[in-house]
Amino acid sequence: MRVVPSICSFCGVGCGIGLRVEDGRVIGVEPQPGHPVSQGQLCAKGWASSFAIDAHGRLTQPLIKEHGQFRPASWDEALERVAEGLRNAQDERGPGGVGVISCARASNEDNYAAQKFARAVLGSNNIDHCARICHSPSVAGLSRTLGSGAMSNSIADIDQAELILVVGADVTENHAMIGARMLRAQARGATLIVIDPRRTRLARLADIHLQLRLGSNIALLNALLKIILERGWENTAFLAERCEDIAPLRAHLAELSLAQCSEQCGIAVAELERVAYLFSQVKTAFTAYGMGITQFQSGTNNVIALSNLVLLCGQIGRPGTGINPLRGQNNVQGACDMGCLPNVYPGYQAVADPAVRARFSTAWGRAVPEAPGLTSLGMMHAAQQGELRALLIMGEDPLQTDPDQNQVARAFAALDLLVVVELSLTATARQADVLLPAAAFAEKDGTFTNCERRVQRIRQAIAPPGLARGDWQILGELARRMDYAGMAWRDAEAVFDEMAALTPIFSAMNYPALDAHHGLQWPCDSAHPQGSPILHQQGFPIGRARLLPLSQVEVAELPDAEYPFAFTTQRLHFHYGCGSMTRKSPLLERETPAGLLFIHPEDAAELGLAQHQGVRVRSRRGVLETRIEYHDDLPRGTLSMPYHFSEAPCNRLTNDAQDPISKMPELKACAVALEALAPGQAPDIHMGTSEVSHARL
Amino acid sequence: MHAYSLDRPERLRAHLAAQRRLYEVRPDCQGGQHWQTVSSQDRHAFEPSSELPPFSAKSFFFGERELLFRFDGGQFYSALPQVVPQVLFGLHACDLQAVAYQDQFFAQDAHYQARRQATLLVGLDCLHSCNGGFCSVLGSGPAVQAQTADLILLPPAEAGADWGLLAASAAGQQALHGLDLASAHADWPAQRQANEARVRAEQGSQEDIIEGIARLNLQAIDDSTWEALGLRCLGCSGCTSVCPTCSCFAPLDRAEGQGGALRERVWDSCLYQGFQQEASGHNPSATAGQRVQRFWTHKFGEDFRQRFDSYGCVGCGRCDRVCPGSIGVHGVMHKVVQP
Repeated sequence: MRVVPSICSFCGVGCGIGLRVEDGRVIGVEPQPGHPVSQGQLCAKGWASSFAIDAHGRLTQPLIKEHGQFRPASWDEALERVAEGLRNAQDERGPGGVGVISCARASNEDNYAAQKFARAVLGSNNIDHCARICHSPSVAGLSRTLGSGAMSNSIADIDQAELILVVGADVTENHAMIGARMLRAQARGATLIVIDPRRTRLARLADIHLQLRLGSNIALLNALLKIILERGWENTAFLAERCEDIAPLRAHLAELSLAQCSEQCGIAVAELERVAYLFSQVKTAFTAYGMGITQFQSGTNNVIALSNLVLLCGQIGRPGTGINPLRGQNNVQGACDMGCLPNVYPGYQAVADPAVRARFSTAWGRAVPEAPGLTSLGMMHAAQQGELRALLIMGEDPLQTDPDQNQVARAFAALDLLVVVELSLTATARQADVLLPAAAFAEKDGTFTNCERRVQRIRQAIAPPGLARGDWQILGELARRMDYAGMAWRDAEAVFDEMAALTPIFSAMNYPALDAHHGLQWPCDSAHPQGSPILHQQGFPIGRARLLPLSQVEVAELPDAEYPFAFTTQRLHFHYGCGSMTRKSPLLERETPAGLLFIHPEDAAELGLAQHQGVRVRSRRGVLETRIEYHDDLPRGTLSMPYHFSEAPCNRLTNDAQDPISKMPELKACAVALEALAPGQAPDIHMGTSEVSHARL
Repeated sequence: MHAYSLDRPERLRAHLAAQRRLYEVRPDCQGGQHWQTVSSQDRHAFEPSSELPPFSAKSFFFGERELLFRFDGGQFYSALPQVVPQVLFGLHACDLQAVAYQDQFFAQDAHYQARRQATLLVGLDCLHSCNGGFCSVLGSGPAVQAQTADLILLPPAEAGADWGLLAASAAGQQALHGLDLASAHADWPAQRQANEARVRAEQGSQEDIIEGIARLNLQAIDDSTWEALGLRCLGCSGCTSVCPTCSCFAPLDRAEGQGGALRERVWDSCLYQGFQQEASGHNPSATAGQRVQRFWTHKFGEDFRQRFDSYGCVGCGRCDRVCPGSIGVHGVMHKVVQP
């Protein structure tokens, strides 16, 4: 038995784990004692890591699809096929005809390689990843108000907070070690306030739970702002020293009626006053939020509204405070940091800046593209229009996790070439023309960046199964076949060093320094060689912070006579993303509820639905069948589904109405109709799948 | 039981490692400690930490994931582990007590016994309490009990002095063959008693634990207390993974080749909702509170104590450290006593 120190590959918390290796396989994991983030603990997903990366069920060789069937191929043949397909698409449509969707689960090195491949080899800024559907509004919103979209503080700041405010995040289930830390803070005396339409575990344990109406964040936050300003509870010194004039905000709020805000969000004025008082008067308030803020067509404005509250009370720039987006995937922070976004290079250096382009052109020895690229949803639309001809997807499963599944299926069907790099045969992988086997995190060296900007080392513990390879190695080999020699790195460290040399916020980072400190938090440069646990202590990247006036935006689709239920999505503690990793654990799979549509027991009673009875759920975009599970987390009139299960893919129902600024689809709210199946009738899991299953046959 | 004086424990370690694969707890580069193989040539000083390693010796015998059998479509093939003779060097009293507990539970388990029979256990008395340990109130430490080990190391109270070494079993005595050892000084029993008294004092009265065990066995803990605890249980399986006496497992079957199959067994956790769920959907422990109650009843219930002649909890405190809900043993017992 060997134990290899690494970082958990589930979620953005970035817990320290030891991989327990026996006879060339990972048989289990253990928490790393004294790790600054996880402090020697793990969640159910982390403890089950060995199953997720088990060689059983993994892709072990390249596959090429012929006549609708996969057949094994050599790396040579498969990569030649990919190179040829990409060249054809480029010839036909230019650099805009190809795109890359990178992966928030892959390492920083893999992501750096992906955007370099898109820009230097394909000559296209069509590079994106799933941050689009989790925290793109955070990047857009906080860039406008502060100048930086990452967590302003560290997870350890929870220990110093007098008050913890959680908005739209199910922290004990999805970021369990952060949730655990919040509960420990509460036990030592901190006040815990949860704002969430669901009565989550954390909400039940909180000192105060504001169970707002789905999609009414801005109304609620405006009410708090209005109360604070009317009572003079704002932090005048902070506003004077650190923020731009708030007169426009003040004037806007003066126009609003508190009673109307209260009615819009469904929270009594007295409760709002209590929270406004506590948040503004404590010395240190740590604010955390999740998808309950971002996954709306008002996502960016929701983020700005929360930022307004934090700034108005000066709860930022000090230990124990801050505005802290909780990131979903283990390396979604890193995939953004590495520039897997259509508008920025590594370290958020703007594509629009000619000096930045010149720098990368020189370093990479290729002219880099000037034209802005497409987002992942933009690529899906372009594919349907016939403008995007070839797409390379690394380790993501948009067919299951993106909104409006049928639309994604149509996009795939319209492509000339779909290349998928994956661990196992996901729904998206099944659609591929060429399927390339990737190495999992325990099979390679590299780094992940957690949500508090901490870059941490992962270490190879075992060999990849069969012919599987690391993503950066696959892309390097593909680049060579497309006549670009600049991606033939010796090892992961060489990739990291190239990235750090080109990225000011990483300039003082290297593997030995990361090894010595349990990772380092960016910015880490000559001025901050030990990294930066807390941002914005002296100033904001944009100078003075901005508080912007906003109005409540209703969700795009409200319940009506035809679709009478509000519908939202959620995650379960035991599963992660599309379930491709967690569902390989026999123990976690056993935890899957028999019914995957959660409904308030009184709603079920009114409809005469028995526990676990089959139902048909229909939205304006699709239909599926599943079973119901009673759940009093939800308010009456609202239904919820987890999105981990391909048998009941709730994203066939969700709305792709988008936030105009960040293009975030409104995954958190739509309207559905519910129809009971006959008692005893089993749900048909193929109901509504015709478009998906025939997409690429 | 013969008592020897030992100038340097490294001499004993090298002697044992020459004939067996020897494991000792060593620090890693990231602040952890793990059981690692040590060769007879290893020159590192034996400097045991007073803190327990995150994992007990459990996985040496009760495999975390192990193949039980292979089926080729026609015939079953057993997959008994081939274990070279091994020695675990420096086990604390609590972890040895846990091995003795599991020896009973797995008495008829061929896989467990194949590993266990090949293993020599070298215990180590504790001079000081580990952080959070309470072995002294449960009777599982800090002195290694003779029937739980083959050899017992008695560290000197003052650095540099000779160690004591007790041969606690015939196998232990035999393993010393060829090693030149003088008899121990006559005062070693007094030193052990002094160690015990020191650790007992360091661990304190542990009133919550004692009162909690009493209340649990009187069934004086109401459902609402258990449910309040259950709300804090995330079902992570951390406690059952690190608990040195937890023994539950689940099957993991996989297809192999044409019509063949592999059956592994993997560590399970009774805190999972699905652990006791029946095919009909009925679950005798449907709520999280009921599951927490069952877990602690297994650890401190009088029925179990009588059957195994010791509590299912050995007082190591590992569950306190890994529980994200702060309901490890001290967390639970505190809430049970002062709901």
